[in-house]
Amino acid sequence: MTQNAGCVRPPLLEVAGLRKTVKVGFRRRPVEILRGVDLEVHQNDVFGLLGPNGAGKTTTIKTVLGLMRPSAGSVRLGLPDLSRVGYLPENPYFYDYLSGREFLSFCGQLFGIDANVRRERVDRLLAEVGLEAAADKHLRKYSKGMLQRIGIAQALINDPELVLLDEPMTGLDPIGRREVKVIIQRLQERGKTVLFNSHILSDVHELCTRIAIIRGGTVVWQGTVPEAMAEAATLDDFFMRVIAS
Amino acid sequence: MKQVGAIALNTFKETIRDRVLGIIVVFALIMIAGGLWLGSISLGEGGRMMKDFGLVAVTLFGLIVAVFVAAGLIHKEVEKRTVFVLFSKPVSRTAFIVGKFLGLCATMAIVMAGMAAFLFVLVWIVDGGFSGMLLLAVLLIYAQLLVIIAVTIFFSTLGSAILASVLGICVFVAGQLSHNVLSLSRLGQNAATEALSWVVYVIIPNLSAVDVKPAVVGEQVVAWSSVGVWLVYLGAYVVVCLGLAVAVFRRKEF
Amino acid sequence: MRGRLALVLVVVACAAVVVAYQATRTESVAADPRVFVPSPEVFLDLSPSFRTSVSDAYYLSMVQYFGEHVRGDQEFDSLPAMVDLVTELSPRFSKGYVFGSMALSDAGRPDLAYEVLQRGFEQFPDDYRFPAYLGFFVYRYGQGENKDEVAAQWYQKAAEIPGRPDYIPRLAATLFGKGGELEKSVAMWGQVYLAGDKYSQQRAVDELNAILPTEKDARIRALAPLASTMPVADLNSLLGELFEGYE
Repeated sequence: MTQNAGCVRPPLLEVAGLRKTVKVGFRRRPVEILRGVDLEVHQNDVFGLLGPNGAGKTTTIKTVLGLMRPSAGSVRLGLPDLSRVGYLPENPYFYDYLSGREFLSFCGQLFGIDANVRRERVDRLLAEVGLEAAADKHLRKYSKGMLQRIGIAQALINDPELVLLDEPMTGLDPIGRREVKVIIQRLQERGKTVLFNSHILSDVHELCTRIAIIRGGTVVWQGTVPEAMAEAATLDDFFMRVIAS
Repeated sequence: MKQVGAIALNTFKETIRDRVLGIIVVFALIMIAGGLWLGSISLGEGGRMMKDFGLVAVTLFGLIVAVFVAAGLIHKEVEKRTVFVLFSKPVSRTAFIVGKFLGLCATMAIVMAGMAAFLFVLVWIVDGGFSGMLLLAVLLIYAQLLVIIAVTIFFSTLGSAILASVLGICVFVAGQLSHNVLSLSRLGQNAATEALSWVVYVIIPNLSAVDVKPAVVGEQVVAWSSVGVWLVYLGAYVVVCLGLAVAVFRRKEF
Repeated sequence: MRGRLALVLVVVACAAVVVAYQATRTESVAADPRVFVPSPEVFLDLSPSFRTSVSDAYYLSMVQYFGEHVRGDQEFDSLPAMVDLVTELSPRFSKGYVFGSMALSDAGRPDLAYEVLQRGFEQFPDDYRFPAYLGFFVYRYGQGENKDEVAAQWYQKAAEIPGRPDYIPRLAATLFGKGGELEKSVAMWGQVYLAGDKYSQQRAVDELNAILPTEKDARIRALAPLASTMPVADLNSLLGELFEGYE
């Protein structure tokens, strides 16, 4: 069941009837991961994508980014190309022979950012994610939490309009999670659009303007957080009810 | 172009900082130095022995580095999922493949320069002079290894890194025997085997068409025009391999 | 603690076995007179790089093989095949012919040595050493009354090659001349000494010691012609060896 909030702003990201089948195993057995996903993410949304493990959240994001090709359906991005998109992968792993600073600079180079601008942005982002002290250490010496933070920094190096974060709170202590939440809120204040996957529903409740719940490769509910809260006492209860139905 | 440069520089840093590379180079230097001992038992032909076996060592260890590093380049990015970082940005698959290739070319240049410099010093000690032919021989070995890198990168887009490295070595060996395949094609009893042999002859890179080792040891003169044409051929071969690698890699999903 | 000690002792014992095995083998290494030498045809299909490397590997092998057997059992069964392989795969490697022919002559095959030198002369028509060595071989091993004249003709050919040392024509003159056998032999063995490698030099010293008078003044007189047929440095080196033990 999908519900439209009736927004007048055009969607920044529109996914319609998205299907994805992959061939798994030695015998190349086809497995349908996405069975018709419909999503609308509007400008300046903080959009939460929820669902149990294996529901297809990560696959949806990868298909939006072009890391996977849809078997059917469409993805319409209201941006010229990926130069205005930032992405943090789940359980990020980066180039462990680079330092934090080198890595962010490399990411900036991939966007074609000019050297002076790049230098300034790298310094600012390192400060924002609290990694100034570790900037010149090799990534192989970073803890999981530090890797998560450098991952968020690289997702923002190009000052993106749309930021896709796959499980951004994973591996972070409460202080780290607080900092990420502040980053997401600041992004929204600056007019950016954020879409993130998370299992931590309290964070979703605190940050998101709209949510979608995916189960078994389809979106079973989509709407604003207040709409969800109107149907249950807590977001956890709402989520469990939708998943169970 | 900037992306190609960024990926090439990143690949260079990745490969040159690999400790295993340093160990391989140390073994190479030991083997090159072994030419001194061979020279001591050669009754005054130390210079020739040093050059000959020094070049064999440079070729062998250059091949090991080229094949094993090239085979793992793409595989590592997919295994470690750093491809997500790359291709979630406006980075084309072409820029990725070309950047990886160029980065490894830079690393190979450093490795070859190190081994060659050591060989030159030893030859200078034994023979008392600097050999321009020796420098040319090293440059031509480097050119051959660039082809092998491109071939191995292509194989690595198709399957596992181990398979790619084995095939890379096989192609190098086959490339040294290219003229044998041509002879075989001309000995064919029927048109089908002749045609097949000819196809194989064209597909395998001709790595022995220009061979300056006899010139290095003073036995022959180099035909410069043939060197130039051969280098153009090798360059074209590299472009074809990388093009095929891009075509395969474009189909990949992550 | 006891376990670790036991482990260390086991490793040390094994290391001792490793060293002992290799140490005891040095005496019992059989200098097999027959070494496997493929025919050159096997390698002719390879690229020039490989041919050169195979040739150089067999050259070194040939030098070692000769050195072992000349000191040992004097059996040189594989030597002709090795010389053939080296000179066929690297036809422009002059040392292959020069050393190969010297080794073959020591191995009792001056006929093969002569052929090798002729092949070498075909490859190096501008190298005076080849006709000079051919002249030596005819003189030393040739049969018949006119061998001196044939040897002298070879030296004459060497004398006609531009850049040859001045003593080459003098050698030709010596051989053409009516001088005695001793004078001619001394001149020839002087040339062998000039080949430069330790085997040739030792051979020359041994042969000269066998034919020269032992009395010092007579010895000096017999060696006098070498002053015009050898470079000074080489002559001094040879004299040093021939007069070792003399006051």
